[in-house]
Amino acid sequence: MNLSRRAFIGTTISAAALASTSFEALARGRKVLIMASSVDIPNFDPHVATGYAPQMLFRNTYDALVRVVGNPPEVVPGLASEWSVSDDQLHYEFTLNPEARFEDGTPVTADAVVYSFERIMRLQRGVSWMIEGVLESGSVTAKDEGTVAFDLKAAFAPFMQVLPWMFIVNPTEVEANLGDDDGQAYLLQNTAGSGPFRMGRVAPGNLYEFLRVEDDWHKDGGNLEGAIWKIVREASTERMMLQRGEAHIALELYAEDMDALADVPGVVRVVEPEYRTFSIKMNTAKGPLVDANLRKAVSYAYNYQGMLDSAGPAELMIGPLPTGIFGHDPDLQVYRQDMEKAKEYLAKSEYADGGFTLNVMHATGYENQRRWCLLLLEALKSLNIGLEIQPATWPDITASAQSADTMPDFYCIFQSANYADPDNIAFAAYHSSRNGQWQNPVYSNPEADKLIEAARIEIDQTRRAEIYAELQVLLVEDAPDIFGVLEKRKLALRDDVEGYVFAPVAANSIELLPLSLT
Amino acid sequence: MIRYVIRRLLLLVPMLLGLSVIVFAIARLLPGDPAALAAGPNATPEVLASVQREFGLDKPIPLQYWDYLTGLVQGDWGVSIFTRRPVFEDIVTFLPATLELVAAAMLIAIVLGIPLGLAAAVWRNGVLDYVTRTVSLGGIAMPRFFLGLLLQLCFVTWLDILPLSGRFPLIDLPPEEITGFYTIDSLLTGDWYALRVSLAHLALPALAMSLSPLATIIRMMRASTIEVLQQDYIMTERALGLSSRLILFKYVLKNAMTSTLTVIGLYVSWLLGGTVLVETVFDWPGLGLYATQAILSQDFMPVIGVTLVIAIIYLLSMLIVDLLYGVFNPKVRSS
Repeated sequence: MNLSRRAFIGTTISAAALASTSFEALARGRKVLIMASSVDIPNFDPHVATGYAPQMLFRNTYDALVRVVGNPPEVVPGLASEWSVSDDQLHYEFTLNPEARFEDGTPVTADAVVYSFERIMRLQRGVSWMIEGVLESGSVTAKDEGTVAFDLKAAFAPFMQVLPWMFIVNPTEVEANLGDDDGQAYLLQNTAGSGPFRMGRVAPGNLYEFLRVEDDWHKDGGNLEGAIWKIVREASTERMMLQRGEAHIALELYAEDMDALADVPGVVRVVEPEYRTFSIKMNTAKGPLVDANLRKAVSYAYNYQGMLDSAGPAELMIGPLPTGIFGHDPDLQVYRQDMEKAKEYLAKSEYADGGFTLNVMHATGYENQRRWCLLLLEALKSLNIGLEIQPATWPDITASAQSADTMPDFYCIFQSANYADPDNIAFAAYHSSRNGQWQNPVYSNPEADKLIEAARIEIDQTRRAEIYAELQVLLVEDAPDIFGVLEKRKLALRDDVEGYVFAPVAANSIELLPLSLT
Repeated sequence: MIRYVIRRLLLLVPMLLGLSVIVFAIARLLPGDPAALAAGPNATPEVLASVQREFGLDKPIPLQYWDYLTGLVQGDWGVSIFTRRPVFEDIVTFLPATLELVAAAMLIAIVLGIPLGLAAAVWRNGVLDYVTRTVSLGGIAMPRFFLGLLLQLCFVTWLDILPLSGRFPLIDLPPEEITGFYTIDSLLTGDWYALRVSLAHLALPALAMSLSPLATIIRMMRASTIEVLQQDYIMTERALGLSSRLILFKYVLKNAMTSTLTVIGLYVSWLLGGTVLVETVFDWPGLGLYATQAILSQDFMPVIGVTLVIAIIYLLSMLIVDLLYGVFNPKVRSS
């Protein structure tokens, strides 16, 4: 054949040239902050959606009466410029900032606050559980245009801590788009708030753009013109984007990513403890683990040091509450690996000889959870008990939590504090009214219920701390969980981001207002 | 010909119906509770029940299927239980990105694969043949996501000439949407900056996706060409003194293309269904990522929707391949 090789090579080079167009770097002039996160924002309704990505959107496009900032978290003015509390903590009054304006320019009034709280209670979604039993329809009233009053059904010590998550919507806009679902269809992809940012481009599953509201009423903000919440599925891609300056903040990084970023110029790593517990819950209502002595034997057999070693930046939990939160007892006597005691309790149980198999469920894709289940396997083996490890998707895990029959013997969960108060973890994870929920599938102890309820309404902080101390001792004695680790929050940002302060509550729900790009 | 096409298109209906039954049954019979996920982590039993009512999950499964089917006929593909957005709108949003990626990958594979396969056959056991054989083996064996990571390492980290991920620079506005294909929309609007930038973003994921079909097309093209070159009529044409170029492009290529066409048709659907990993590595906002998210959250309406779309594209691409056989082989056309 006389066919020219040059013709073939030419074709190949042309095709290759097509694919290798030179890349122009991102324009740097605009003050647009880019956050890389793996979590989508499927719903913009502040009274329906939950999770830290939607919370980030709410914090920046809506306002609540108060905000929570800093470490330790502190409640500071939001829509309300000042407030007063009655001595019995049943009556709260908030004076609204007269400057506050919704995005459409109308003032934020007490009626809007009343409307928003009534909507939260009516919908019974999202954050409504935080005020369940505390407020009811009619509890929130407008005293005048700029003053709103709350009459609580019972004293609720963490009331000010839950208010930052109760966002105020513009009633005029919601009413104009009410539909037959209380405006849910409209607020799914629209905002009606008074926050310092409004939504720009919305590309579900890809990116969400925030634009600074012109003539915004908020004071002392940074210089951001906008921000982008970019969905990035791989932690390694998040890291590379940060390294290359394509993102300013990477929110979900693993320990190995943090190590890789150690010497990268222009990158600041943030490794901070937060109120996010990991525990292996036990089925206290069905099967062998109903026996408290067996639960204690397992708790003593577990290799906590191994768990810590494999966790990356973390610390072991001391009891059921996260370290550092109000009421936590750092001197609490908790279980640490002690095989003699494990065998002692096993002998006291009805299962002294072992010889049976239990099962544990963990979330698919969480390598650390798999490792911690292997440590459980090792612990149980030393007690002559087998273990079947079942990886499962999150919906399967929540489904298994519905009853004692569906719950496996062990069940791995992370639990984040939505508000900076021990009530959050204590009530959700150990109060029997939460049975059937993923945070507390089956555990029920009337004594624990009483203490949790007493602490909720106790006004005196010293007495409240004592009640929580009592609760922690009771829970350790009851051993419903293997109290695991507090993984530290790992994120990283470019050094041209100014004004960032880590907060152990909703750490990934970045508040944009104080931030600047230099 | 038209009757044949209509008959084939009509056959799609029972096929899709059967597929929808199977996918619906699998999606709904899996363990897990999507309503619990949609209701939120702290939902009360009452809220959970209201979510189940809202999405019809409290009805018997056959009734749920009937509701779905009647909705489908009226253009209602259901609503995502997780995002509460209409599935059809989501698919319309995500499909162009995936189609653009698959089209670019197939373009690279065809434009490079066919001439390289031909060349390897023509200069059999030459240097080019050995090189393409090695590349083909590597291309078939190497997982796409791994190749994607290698390409990122090479072109992004070391050479720094291509963007790491995404479809367009984050702080820029993409070209005005006409087809949803950024490259075509840039061309149609005459936006050359957008064209250059979208091609740069497309390059690495398309290369990562193209290696496997490229390798197969090279191998298939080489084998078919060698077979055709040994036919008597080629010997005759040579004996008649026809030029090599004429023989190769007029007689060999056409006859060798038939089996390669089948591979191309199969690869279109294979790539469509398998974009997940490449889309994840390159953070490409396409149908693969959408489907993965839906599967992980047991959001079955999008799962069924995506499956049906891929099935439709697969069946249509096979129909196009069948029609193209006629272009290359008159015997097929007449039958």
